[in-house]
Amino acid sequence: MLTTPIEEDVVGTSLWKDAWRRLRKNRLAIIGMVIVTIVIVASIVGPPIIRLLTGYTYDSIPNDSALIKSFPPFTAPDGTFSWAHPMGTDIAGRDILARVLLGGRISLMVGIISTLVSLVIGITFGATAGYLGGKVDEVMMRIVDVLYAIPYMMVVIVLLAFFGGQSPLGQLFLLFAALGAVSWLTMARIVRGQVISLKNQEFILAARATGVSTWKIIARHLVPNTLGPVIVYATLTIPSVMLLEAFLSFLGLGVQAPLASWGSLAADGIQNIAIFPWQLLCPGVTMAITLFSLNFVGDGLRDALDPQMRKS
Amino acid sequence: MKIAARVGLLVASALTALSCNSTTSAKSALYFGKIEPPQGQVMRYISGSEPESLDPQVSTGQPEARIYLALYEGLTEYHPVTGQVIPAIAERWDVNANNTEFTFYLRQTARWSNGDPITARDFVYSLRRGLSPALAARSAYLAYSIKGAQAYNEGKGRAEDIGIQAVDDYTLKITLTTPVPYLTGLVAHQFFRLVPRKAIEKHGDAWTRPENIVTCGAFKVQSWRAYDRLIVVRDPMYWDAGVVKLDQITFYPVEDTTTQMILYKAGEVDAVYNHTVPYAWVDEMRRLKDYMDKPENAIEYYMLNTKKAPTNDLRVRRAFNMAIDKDALAVYRRVVKPLTAFTPEGIFPGYPQPRGDPFDPEKARALLAEAGYRDANGKYDPKKFPVSDMEISFNTNEPNKQTAEFVQAQWKKHLQLTVPLKNVEWKTFLDSRAKLEYKGAARAGWVGDYMDPYTFLDLFSTEFGDNGTGWSPPEYVAMLREANTEHDPAKRYERLARAEVFLLAAQPIIPLYTSGSDWLKKPFVKGMYANPLTLHAWKYVYIEHDRSKWDIDDPPLSTN
Amino acid sequence: MLRFIVRRLIVTVPMVLVVVSLTWALIRLAPGNFYTGEKPIPPAIQKNLREKYGLDKPWYVQYGKMVSNTLHGDFGLSLKYQGQPVNTILRNALPVSATVGLLAYLLALVVGIVSGTLAALRQNSKLDYSSMAVAMLGISVPNFVLGPMLVLLFSLTWYVLPPALWGGAKHLILPVLTLSGVYMAYIARLTRSGMLEVLRSNYIRTARAKGLSERHVLMHHALRGGLLPVVSFSGPALAFLVTGTVVVERIFALPGLGNYFINANFNRDEPLIIGIVAFISIVILLFNLLVDIAYGFIDPRVRY
Repeated sequence: MLTTPIEEDVVGTSLWKDAWRRLRKNRLAIIGMVIVTIVIVASIVGPPIIRLLTGYTYDSIPNDSALIKSFPPFTAPDGTFSWAHPMGTDIAGRDILARVLLGGRISLMVGIISTLVSLVIGITFGATAGYLGGKVDEVMMRIVDVLYAIPYMMVVIVLLAFFGGQSPLGQLFLLFAALGAVSWLTMARIVRGQVISLKNQEFILAARATGVSTWKIIARHLVPNTLGPVIVYATLTIPSVMLLEAFLSFLGLGVQAPLASWGSLAADGIQNIAIFPWQLLCPGVTMAITLFSLNFVGDGLRDALDPQMRKS
Repeated sequence: MKIAARVGLLVASALTALSCNSTTSAKSALYFGKIEPPQGQVMRYISGSEPESLDPQVSTGQPEARIYLALYEGLTEYHPVTGQVIPAIAERWDVNANNTEFTFYLRQTARWSNGDPITARDFVYSLRRGLSPALAARSAYLAYSIKGAQAYNEGKGRAEDIGIQAVDDYTLKITLTTPVPYLTGLVAHQFFRLVPRKAIEKHGDAWTRPENIVTCGAFKVQSWRAYDRLIVVRDPMYWDAGVVKLDQITFYPVEDTTTQMILYKAGEVDAVYNHTVPYAWVDEMRRLKDYMDKPENAIEYYMLNTKKAPTNDLRVRRAFNMAIDKDALAVYRRVVKPLTAFTPEGIFPGYPQPRGDPFDPEKARALLAEAGYRDANGKYDPKKFPVSDMEISFNTNEPNKQTAEFVQAQWKKHLQLTVPLKNVEWKTFLDSRAKLEYKGAARAGWVGDYMDPYTFLDLFSTEFGDNGTGWSPPEYVAMLREANTEHDPAKRYERLARAEVFLLAAQPIIPLYTSGSDWLKKPFVKGMYANPLTLHAWKYVYIEHDRSKWDIDDPPLSTN
Repeated sequence: MLRFIVRRLIVTVPMVLVVVSLTWALIRLAPGNFYTGEKPIPPAIQKNLREKYGLDKPWYVQYGKMVSNTLHGDFGLSLKYQGQPVNTILRNALPVSATVGLLAYLLALVVGIVSGTLAALRQNSKLDYSSMAVAMLGISVPNFVLGPMLVLLFSLTWYVLPPALWGGAKHLILPVLTLSGVYMAYIARLTRSGMLEVLRSNYIRTARAKGLSERHVLMHHALRGGLLPVVSFSGPALAFLVTGTVVVERIFALPGLGNYFINANFNRDEPLIIGIVAFISIVILLFNLLVDIAYGFIDPRVRY
């Protein structure tokens, strides 16, 4: 690497400062950011507050068996209006709001961390394969193909058999590993595709001609130019890993009951949609609003980081 | 944004329409969803998972059993209402004094679907085939009490030495090594149903394909497409064909609960198999006449690992059992009956079922204190208990999860212990249970193979492998074996009950509940009963097209 | 180009072998086996079962048999669905999955590309925002929720479409809609961002400067480059759709490959898993090859 610290500093500042300046101007992105922040804060401080106010935690089943049933939002057992359960209760009489907020912790963590993992692996792998081309590209992409075809479920079952029975923290790590393992594959293909089409463009050729090192070309010139589709795909990855988590909890990975995630709450709720629609709608709408907002943030970021737009 | 808002509005309005719809219909109507009887005598039924095979001897599950009741018969059959033994191909039978020799007299009118007569030799062939090591039937152990059966199945004996004999064309003698008083009920099990020799010898593995299959039940196969549907039609060759009313039954293998309920509500199927109604729906459904509810010949319990601390201590096992309010659990689960013993409640008439320890949280805490989990004053101290060595593990499934959450809450409340839950994929779960690798408690359930308490008590007399708890003392096994030598049914039940008391005292398990049948049928489906096996004798089922008779309960049934 | 295709086709064989070998090893490592049940089976019967299916032989013999089966394209008998050849199962289930999958993807492509392109052309307009919001809705609503919702509307409220089961064309509508929802959204968003990227690039500027009509620029120049991300996405997506998707097949009780596959995993049905995996890997390799070929056609800058 030929970079000097000074050069790095200058480039870094202008890129991110510029981006931030443009992002601030994007009203939707700012609204999105505010909503996401609210959801994050609520899922962190919400459960203890509910516990303080109503005594309910995500897993408390009422002692009185008359209360072990699903009440609609804002409804007291006698049918009158009540603030006790703004999202109603589930079939075990548990407070849905407390469960949704707790589920938010898990789902947001899963969504964001796994997506970051897939971004890092996917970009590195895809950009390298695409830029180097030839035999290296061939081998790298065939590895991706093999990984696509391996039955994912079997991998998770075996993973659990060998590393299961862990502490909750170990289990979480396993979950990220399992989620990261699949979500980077398509990312890598997309990045590679972009890089292949970019690498013969003038500015890359120019960089190469002036003797810039391979890694620097990839990191400085190719990757920033692929960011558009990558950010968009990343915002698409967040919901898909959140839902994949719900499937994994079916295999025994993911969250263990009575903990919940948005995906698992929605999966439980759909069963009772015809009788207790709030069991699906409450977690579902919370999740949809969050994903919407995240998406606007993603779009804003995309526009802000767009190297083509930088001069405008 | 407008489009999104409009779509949202549409969905919301549809949902409100729906939920209003369901509540109003629950109040006014007696039935669930669309009610439109099919044309003619045609029935559509959801039978559960895709059948493993149409060969009754190799498949072991309930989804197949539901279908076999239409396609195959054995010596005896289950009564459509009580589940008790009734004659089938055998008209009557004799038993010797110590329950070791059974003589069956077959009806001479029984025929295969291809018109060939059914004789005693067909039964001899079927049992020999079922026990042959080459077939490797998983249920073969059910026949091990028949003389020579185990040796042949283990590759040590000859087929000719098996204690099954065709005395003449219509007389069959079965000789046992140990007394089996419930044998007549046992031989109704799918493993003992007749299979067609000629077709098997001609087609080998492919004999169960629709074009090759030969059956002996009230219905025969018309077409079969895996994961889609199996269509059976009335078999004119069947000996009791005059009773059969349905012309056709379509069995749908549908696994998803929501889909099952939707298909039923939309009137695409006329009945569903048991345990299909999500328990959240039960309060709503119970008001409707569709709902079929009866205790089943099945129990749900937790196994305890008696080889690993802390559950290797009897006091700990008893404490955890006594700290669960089974009545509250039954209220919570809606469709079940509370259970403190190891045999299902109210299923075996005349069986003096013992009661296990009652719900008593105070005693539970005292027992734990006694077991050493106490503070300086000798009072129970939850902080001393190694709660990280306990778990409730269960295979992934919604009802299992709900039960586990409830039990966890009970222990938290009464013992101040938060035992972690662990859901595990089915085969991984079974593996860890069989190898006793699980910590604390593991979920278990058993559906009786026959209508006798022995099918439950026998789970812990395992000579083969482990029963999942590590508990199987020789005294217990001896008590069971001796009970079976008793010829007088009442006295035998008494001795079995004594064995059950012994089992409950050792508490290798925590009984949870007796399952409820929990299924649905449309009002025009008649002759289909909530029975303890939830296996339906299809020959008595029919479609009532006269609407005035829909609300009237089924008339009493006469079987021959 | 031709040499490239031939090379890729030849490499398919060892690739499939790598995939099935890894899968085979995974099945062996997974706890439990095909006969593990609620009640343990006596050892003698376990021995009978192992002998019947050749599991008593040394592992290399079993492995060799699996490899030779795969090379011959005959995967033997299913362990769970006793007496049924895996090949028959594949033959029966594949058309179902392929029909639903292809139709769903076609629908997703048409709707996705059109709305994505329109959104990109009118960036930051109401049309852009609303179509992207709908797309996001499609992604945020998982198909296990979307499916039952559609069923509630069309089958239980309006009674116009069958709720599930396999039958005529009417039975296809809801599964196809459910399945295409997510993909539609993906494609719309990928198209939009790809198009935005391209519409600002030099060659489009050049084309516009030459005075070509906006329509011509769009159809002949912009779409080509703008669709690259969609094309990359399509290879694996299509391969998965065609080989069956578990959720939709379960919700609508379709006799497709996805249903078989998930159960085969749970049942540890080795021949069936191997058969399906071998098939899926061939499909993935072929579709990715097609994608790479398509790259060459779509984007003249790509060279092999």
